[in-house]
Amino acid sequence: MPKINFTLSSILAVALLTGCGATKTINIDLDNDKKAPAVMGLDYRDFQKTAQEMIQSLVSSGAINKPNGGRYVLVISRVINDTMQHIDTDQLVKKIRVGLLKSGKVVVTTAVSANGAEDNMAMQARKDLRGNAEFNQKTVAAKGQMIAPDLSLSGKIIQRNITVDDDTQQVEYYFQMTLTDINTGLAFWEDEKVIGKRGSNDSVAW
Amino acid sequence: MKYILLILLSIVFFITGCSTTPKPSQKIVQLVGNCSDQYISIEDLKGRIKNDGFMQAQVRGRNLTSNYIKVEYKIVWLDENDFTIDTILSHWSAVPAYANQPFYINVTSPNTKAKSFNLYLKKEGKTTLCQK
Repeated sequence: MPKINFTLSSILAVALLTGCGATKTINIDLDNDKKAPAVMGLDYRDFQKTAQEMIQSLVSSGAINKPNGGRYVLVISRVINDTMQHIDTDQLVKKIRVGLLKSGKVVVTTAVSANGAEDNMAMQARKDLRGNAEFNQKTVAAKGQMIAPDLSLSGKIIQRNITVDDDTQQVEYYFQMTLTDINTGLAFWEDEKVIGKRGSNDSVAW
Repeated sequence: MKYILLILLSIVFFITGCSTTPKPSQKIVQLVGNCSDQYISIEDLKGRIKNDGFMQAQVRGRNLTSNYIKVEYKIVWLDENDFTIDTILSHWSAVPAYANQPFYINVTSPNTKAKSFNLYLKKEGKTTLCQK
């Protein structure tokens, strides 16, 4: 009997020490992560795929080609998160603006946005340094140097949950984006990409 | 007589607008290498520089099976010196290939520096390069 107790104790100790049942932590290979199971919520793969498709749609549309050459100045407007998840929409927007910047056809202003200046320092540096005797005024940004935006990028992410049966639910995510010409108010480009997921009702999509 | 001929020629050139004809885009056709197998055949692979400077690539393939296949592909864009262009557009994408039907991949380069491209197809975990 003592022998059995000793064996059981040993197994228990080994199990505890090896972290029995615990999921091993691994680094994700972002370039080859196909084997990883899909999740009902939005993950980095969804943002990457959507951003890739949006950039492809934009560059092939011709909407970012300035008729007389040069680059358009783009401002990021509001991208509304109308899902049940806490999403920082920059996860999508940043990828798109990097892609557009790399296209050589667009430059993004950080001096203005729908929520105020993205980089406050651009404006703050002017206010604080202009007329400040400690600074060489020739090196301070002069008045009237900032460039106003030509285009505005806005969008919305929508989530729809649909019950398929007692055990299954379907979650649909709609990524909608619009590129507006600020001068005329006309939408130069619009697109929508849909990501659909179907899975267990036990999964939570928020 | 000479003056009349000159005037007539000028009128003809003016009407036909000979000086404003846009230059057709350069068409670059690449040969297909060892992309085809018993499931998929790549029938055509071509690219062109559009008037806006972006390169457009088009691939025509065919699903040889009686089943739907999701074909995974990747386009690597190269500049004039054959250096790769770093872009999110070079990640793996997928195109639907319906049973016994042709499928098309139609993509535009990330910028105007792209002068050629390589197409990669992923089949059963193996990556194949389709190029000249």
